[in-house]
Amino acid sequence: MNGSMKRVGAIFVKDWKDLKRNSYVLFTVFMPVVFAAILGRMGVENPGMHMFPVNMALVMCAAFVQASMIAEEKEKNTLRGLMLSPASTLDIFIGKSVLTGAVTIVVIILSIWLSEVQLTGIAPLSIAILLSLIAYISIGTIIGLLSRNVMETGIVGMPVLVVFLGSSFIMQIVENEFIKKVLSYLPNEQLSSMAVQLHGGAAFGEVASHLAVIAVWAVASIALTVVMYKKSAADK
Amino acid sequence: MENVIEVRNLVHYFGKKSVLKGLHFEVEKGETFGFLGPSGSGKTTTIKILTSQLIGSKGEIRIFGQPQADLKRIGILTDNSGLYDRLTVYDNLVLFCDLYGTDRARISDVLDEVNLAAEGKTVVKKLSKGMKQRVTLARAILHKPDLLFLDEPTSALDPVNRTRIHTILRRLNAEGTTIFLTTHDMQEAEELCHRVAFLNAGEIKAMNSPQALRLHYSDESISLHLKENKTVVVERNEAGAAQIQDYIANGELLAIHSNEPTLGDIFMQLTGRDLV
Ligand SMILES: Nc1ncnc2c1ncn2[C@@H]1O[C@H](COP(=O)(O)OP(=O)(O)OP(=O)(O)O)[C@@H](O)[C@H]1O
Ligand SMILES: [Mg+2]
Repeated sequence: MNGSMKRVGAIFVKDWKDLKRNSYVLFTVFMPVVFAAILGRMGVENPGMHMFPVNMALVMCAAFVQASMIAEEKEKNTLRGLMLSPASTLDIFIGKSVLTGAVTIVVIILSIWLSEVQLTGIAPLSIAILLSLIAYISIGTIIGLLSRNVMETGIVGMPVLVVFLGSSFIMQIVENEFIKKVLSYLPNEQLSSMAVQLHGGAAFGEVASHLAVIAVWAVASIALTVVMYKKSAADK
Repeated sequence: MENVIEVRNLVHYFGKKSVLKGLHFEVEKGETFGFLGPSGSGKTTTIKILTSQLIGSKGEIRIFGQPQADLKRIGILTDNSGLYDRLTVYDNLVLFCDLYGTDRARISDVLDEVNLAAEGKTVVKKLSKGMKQRVTLARAILHKPDLLFLDEPTSALDPVNRTRIHTILRRLNAEGTTIFLTTHDMQEAEELCHRVAFLNAGEIKAMNSPQALRLHYSDESISLHLKENKTVVVERNEAGAAQIQDYIANGELLAIHSNEPTLGDIFMQLTGRDLV
């Protein structure tokens, strides 16, 4: 194992030990699971709702767990200790992202299982979910960089929560076609439409455009994270 | 002697505010060097620049002859501990062992050194302030740094914990670690430092060994404690000696004190202000 891999591993293990004792994060992680279980009891008829538990897991776990892990390092002054060690910023962010990713995947699998939805097209959906995961972890990183403490992630992340979880409801309320069009390009809407089409028997080629849009989200949010990090580092 | 730290005309501004105004000093290998100054004089800013947390506005620094400190060779202790409080003492140290590539077997040695051998499995949240500070010190020396930066290592600690940390620092220094320490505690500086620099409003006002400073700024007077609770001050010359003989002959003299100033007195004399 080379030095950087070892340091990424050290961050991952540290954050895992910490997460197990962090009641705020555990609550955030279990919420989508509980929600999926309730949904499973009620029974989900509308295929438009099939991806909702997955989206909830992506927003709550991928984005908010990542954000709160980063914000807490700032709040408790531990980030400085890491930066003064041989660990690079990239080591730190990758270690955290891998943990967030692993936890989110477990929550997604649990949520799908508990919500008892019958998914069609597991392969394209898995690719879409993995690409979304990258996008949401990056968005979480940005929220973490913008917040000075864990409390602030709730405030900074509120718009993300509202838009990425509530877009379907917003689309039902607003009349404006332009806003509807814009919202339909959100990663969660893309994922949801994709699931509906696959449910209706669409082939891989027919949902490729959705995958492309989500991939653009993933790349763009990574790029934005890098820009945001450079900016916040230059401020100091 | 080899210089571990060299600072030449270091200037720093925060915005338009000038915080360091041309610092010039060096720290030799094996030395404990104290940076003594009141709150806001620029001690932490200097440490941040020396440890590459901040880039100085002007001037030159060299750590082990390089413009940037080699992070593997330095250790840093600041007052805001920065420990993971949900993890155990041991797990906090495991992280840094792995980050530095240090053998984990070193953890028990270090815990012994800071008298926390029994607390390895304790969650940091449950430790007292003095214990936390010793864990932070353990973390700072885990990878056996050649140079240790300590930013007010004992501020807000009770005398017992203060003495403990002083003992550890003296031992580390005896084993060859060069120490750069900031404090506004003149007693601490006197106890630990081979040399001190007085920093006031971003300027070094004096720099030497505590003994040399005391000698240099001594006002050459002697206090005589006499019977009936009287005290007289005489000068350190022939006239003074004659006076002392008289008091002895009269049987009035109880005790003699040479009036050496404390570092705090000297600081006051140089800057017109207190160290605290
Ligand atoms: N990030 C910052 N932005 C602007 N001004 C700052 C910043 N950090 C420190 N200062 C100012 O620089 C000056 C020196 O601060 P510094 O923290 O170096 O003092 P210090 O000697 O360490 O004080 P203390 O004993 O209170 O720790 C102070 O006037 C402080 O207000
Ligand atoms: Mg300070």
